[in-house]
Amino acid sequence: MLNQPTALEHILITTKVEKVLNWARASSVWPMTFGLACCAIEMMAAGAARFDFDRFGAGIFRASPRQSDLMIVAGTVTYKMAPVIKRLYDQMPEPKWVIAMGSCATAGGPFDSYHTIQGVDKVVPVDVFIPGCPPRPESLIYGFLKLQDKIMSSSIGDRYKELFEAAG
Amino acid sequence: MDTPENGTPTPEAPAAGPYVYDLAASPQRQVVLPKTAPLPSLKAYRAEVAAAQAADEAKWQKMLADFETAKAKAAEEGKPEPKAPVRPVPRKDDNDVKTPFPTEAADPDLHRLVELLADKVEEVFEQAGELVCQVRKECVLETLLLCRDDEQLKYDLLADETATHFPAARDFAFSVVYQLTSISRRKKLRIRILIPEGFEPDSAFPAYPTANWLEREIYDMLGIRFRQHPDMTRILCPEGWEGWPLRKEYPVVGLGQRDIDFREDRSGVLMRMAMEKAGQMGINLKVPKAD
Repeated sequence: MLNQPTALEHILITTKVEKVLNWARASSVWPMTFGLACCAIEMMAAGAARFDFDRFGAGIFRASPRQSDLMIVAGTVTYKMAPVIKRLYDQMPEPKWVIAMGSCATAGGPFDSYHTIQGVDKVVPVDVFIPGCPPRPESLIYGFLKLQDKIMSSSIGDRYKELFEAAG
Repeated sequence: MDTPENGTPTPEAPAAGPYVYDLAASPQRQVVLPKTAPLPSLKAYRAEVAAAQAADEAKWQKMLADFETAKAKAAEEGKPEPKAPVRPVPRKDDNDVKTPFPTEAADPDLHRLVELLADKVEEVFEQAGELVCQVRKECVLETLLLCRDDEQLKYDLLADETATHFPAARDFAFSVVYQLTSISRRKKLRIRILIPEGFEPDSAFPAYPTANWLEREIYDMLGIRFRQHPDMTRILCPEGWEGWPLRKEYPVVGLGQRDIDFREDRSGVLMRMAMEKAGQMGINLKVPKAD
């Protein structure tokens, strides 16, 4: 009898504001159209009819950083491209997330050479790394689900944790 | 290794604490310069063949002389005469993949070029069906204009222009090649010049406007400047790049440009934490800073 919902709970859900916000954010993550190399082809496939990224609320690829929440870095990041990535990341509104897709974006891939940044995490903070060369759309979707988990478990205070710790 | 007898001290074990990756000792940073200058050339090939023949002949003469001395020694000692030497047959090159060697120029286009340019041509030859004409480095633009405008040549397209660095060569440092194509005659021709370090060849832009970007790429990768080029700036690397990446003395990983950290790490706290953690776990972590 005690575990039965009351009449009030039949029509009301009690929750936290933070959780509602996280749910809203995780359910409609708009990625930025940002393909650098062959990984972008897999990203397009993930967005197209067969894999349908839209099932997770992430199907609307925006062409502007001002409207997007997620940057999927799909491909090789060269030294010349790195400042552009940095600027685009800075132009995205908070809250924002980054997925490093493929081995080039995670660690430089086969290009251990003078022109390639060895991992996009040297340029922007990365939330999810997806290995593969290139990763299949399933991998991208799995990585995106991981990102959704991260968003759901995040707290508003997390963002300022570093500042609080630095302040003591 | 441990050599106490030579007096060299035993290398000490790395100090405890955060592991620091030694960038200078990284194998990608080491540069191995080539010892030879493998430039395809009829003259060089002939010299090579002559040298090989001379070596064979010298070997044979030495075998004969050895035989003579052995024979004299045997006659002195009253022993039976040793066997006469047999001249060794040159080893046949039966590889499936044979290096095509340069041959005498047989194509009328090359003869036409020699006829028109006379002593400005340094060398003409054919290799694997490709026509190569090496001209003096000062008259490359004249040659290209001729190839474009001459009625019998009509090479109307500059398909590619590129250069190679030969640090081991003595009298030149770079070879610049111009790959010409005649669409109407379905023929291809390669013009080549050899230039020393610091020489500025004439730009091919007046003859072929395609050369604009091709020469900018050569300048970007090898540092060869072209005279009277409309815009002699870098095309692939960012502005202000240090060094010329396609030169042989350039390390593969560059001169430290890619190690720059673009992220704003407040007072390096995050990096120090990461380094400490990696050191505790024994992970080989690169130092992300310019050296």
